Amino acid sequence: MQASRARLFKEYKEVQREKVADPDIQLVCDDSNIFKWTALIKGPSETPYEGGVFQLAFSVPEQYPLQPPQVRFLTKIFHPNVHFKTGEICLDILKNAWSPAWTLQSVCRAIIALMAHPEPDSPLNCDSGNLLRSGDVRGFQSMAKMYTRLAAMPKKG
Amino acid sequence: MDLEDCMSSAGEEEEEDYYCSDRDSLDDALENEESDPQWAPPKGSSSKVITKESLLAAQREDMRRVMELLSLREHHARTLLIHYRWDVEKIFAVLVEKGKDRLFTEAGVPILESHNSDSSVSTSTAMCDICMEDLPSNEMTKMDCGHCFCNNCWTEHFIVKINEGQSRRIRCMAHKCFAICDEAIIRDLVDKRHPDLAEKFDRFLLESYIEDNKMVKWCPSIPHCGNAIRVEEDEFCEVECSCGNQFCFSCLCEAHSPCSCVMWELWTKKCRDESETVNWITVHTKPCPKCHKPVEKNGGCNLVSCICGQAFCWLCGGATGRDHTWSNIAGHSCGRYKEDREKKSERAKRDLYRYMHYHNRYKAHTDSFKQESRLKETIRDKVAVLEGRDSQLRDFSWVTNGLYRLFRSRRALSYSYPFAYYMFGGELFNDEMTKEDLEIKQHLFEDQQQQLETNVEKLSKFIEEPFDNYSEDRIMEIRMQVINLSVITDTLCRKMYECIETDLLGSLQFGIHNIAPYHSKGIEKATELPISWAAKSCNAEKRHKLEDTTNGGTSESDRPSGSGSSDEIGFSSLKRARKDDGFGDSMFDLNLPADVIDRN
Repeated sequence: MQASRARLFKEYKEVQREKVADPDIQLVCDDSNIFKWTALIKGPSETPYEGGVFQLAFSVPEQYPLQPPQVRFLTKIFHPNVHFKTGEICLDILKNAWSPAWTLQSVCRAIIALMAHPEPDSPLNCDSGNLLRSGDVRGFQSMAKMYTRLAAMPKKG
Repeated sequence: MDLEDCMSSAGEEEEEDYYCSDRDSLDDALENEESDPQWAPPKGSSSKVITKESLLAAQREDMRRVMELLSLREHHARTLLIHYRWDVEKIFAVLVEKGKDRLFTEAGVPILESHNSDSSVSTSTAMCDICMEDLPSNEMTKMDCGHCFCNNCWTEHFIVKINEGQSRRIRCMAHKCFAICDEAIIRDLVDKRHPDLAEKFDRFLLESYIEDNKMVKWCPSIPHCGNAIRVEEDEFCEVECSCGNQFCFSCLCEAHSPCSCVMWELWTKKCRDESETVNWITVHTKPCPKCHKPVEKNGGCNLVSCICGQAFCWLCGGATGRDHTWSNIAGHSCGRYKEDREKKSERAKRDLYRYMHYHNRYKAHTDSFKQESRLKETIRDKVAVLEGRDSQLRDFSWVTNGLYRLFRSRRALSYSYPFAYYMFGGELFNDEMTKEDLEIKQHLFEDQQQQLETNVEKLSKFIEEPFDNYSEDRIMEIRMQVINLSVITDTLCRKMYECIETDLLGSLQFGIHNIAPYHSKGIEKATELPISWAAKSCNAEKRHKLEDTTNGGTSESDRPSGSGSSDEIGFSSLKRARKDDGFGDSMFDLNLPADVIDRN
């Protein structure tokens, strides 16, 4: 338990230092609980998520880093590997391919990569997966873009 | 051919007295038995009991082979064996097919062993990627795969994995590294913090030999005896653990041959599914055909009489006259399943009848078996009385042998009913055989079953006789009968198994039904595995010596008076010779029930 705390503290310091280095990711630790984190990530360019800012919630187990953190989207997103209602993410490194060498920062990077390269063959969001699998890339992109505009962009006016 | 067989065996049935009255037939049978090529000489038991103590010795041979072939260190050999489920042949096959690299990477054995350069950096510090601390190198550990983390993080990782039950495949912590960690390092690191967990880890590793290995299984005894059984070659067999538990190695249920595992599973499920009350009534009582009161059978033969005075047959429940012998009731025969019933009732009813027919017979025989096992006590007393008497009769092994033969055949007989239920039920084998074909086979099988049944009942009758009060001549006569019937039932059992294996199951296309072969000595007792190899060779030598002495010590005159059934000619003489040598007390005779041995 102490190990996880120490490690998270290290990560916290690392994040403070790297904040400028990676402008796409903004990791924030909960004021009162080091096991709760939130992150703001920018939608990668040349994807329907471009221009959006997505909020992630991290819940870190006491066995961390030997066990993976639980991550979910707080911002609604239309993506085949994200549950439309709960924001749950289907990503191998958050399940069985987890390695203790990963950090919260690198998990964010992996999620950004997942946004750019969806895997429609293991969908949590079937509608989105089916659009991609049937080859309707335009349909998928317009849906994703619409939800990005609705949920992930500051309201105009 | 089948028809002819039927006729001839039916003929034999008519002449069943032939065996009993003819003294010579015994000798014939003995000779036949000896010349029978099917009869293998008694050899060392092929199944082994693996105890907690001998578990390491049991896997050493496999480990040695892999270590020698691939020039590996012990823990890598174990990793390979665990991955390939202790199938050494499989490892060799993968090696030939895919090469060493694939063989290793698939199992998570690192190909390069990099033990260089470690000493040179021992003074400097390095950062552990897990806890992100800068630590001196002597607090870091590098695995065979080349990844280096601090001891603390490794230890935590191992503890988590061991507690998750993953002891046998703890992988490196680095991303996408599938190498299995060195067991010695795991043990050392975990031992420093949780010695009991390190012990647990060791046990898990050792027990992989049992749990990841299809030729080794835990003995299913309850409470668990702590032993495992290893078989050679054939997993379709029945074994007896040193704790006395007998079981089918394939499905770990009670020994159920000649029923196949699939059939047995269906049968036990079916018996459980029937509602409790219906079950209790069909199992324990029969309605009297006259007054319809439920009647319970508490012993004796199959002719039961109700308190209202009506006599009826326990097997079919039909009213009968009072004239009967032990094995049949005058003018009454019900061992066969009658087709005419079928025509009258609709399908559901027919199925129920059918089930009850087989279940009742199955139950009748298992019940008889239970009642007869109480005979052991009385037989012991009777023999004690006779031995106390001053007479020429000295050897009473025929009684215990006969009793054992009775148990053995009764078992086979009772399990043959669930077998017949599924074999001829038309559900399992609809696509495999035509109706006519099946019918012919059914007749063939039922003939054999009936013959066996008749002889088993006769044997039971003679063994239950109060012969301790009889004159010597009369005892001699009973002795002849018991010996004679023992031989016959043994032969009939074997024939029935052969019929099932070759004529019935052997002709099927899909081989999902396998049965353990018949052993007239009964279920094979697994022998204890010696803890060291030296002990084993020593034992073998001892046995050799024993056999030498016994061959000399057997006298011809022992033979006719000695053994109850032919199957132990070799063994019973062996037993006697051992007694002369003073070994008799400590040696087990496969042929006797366990408690009889204890008494000896």
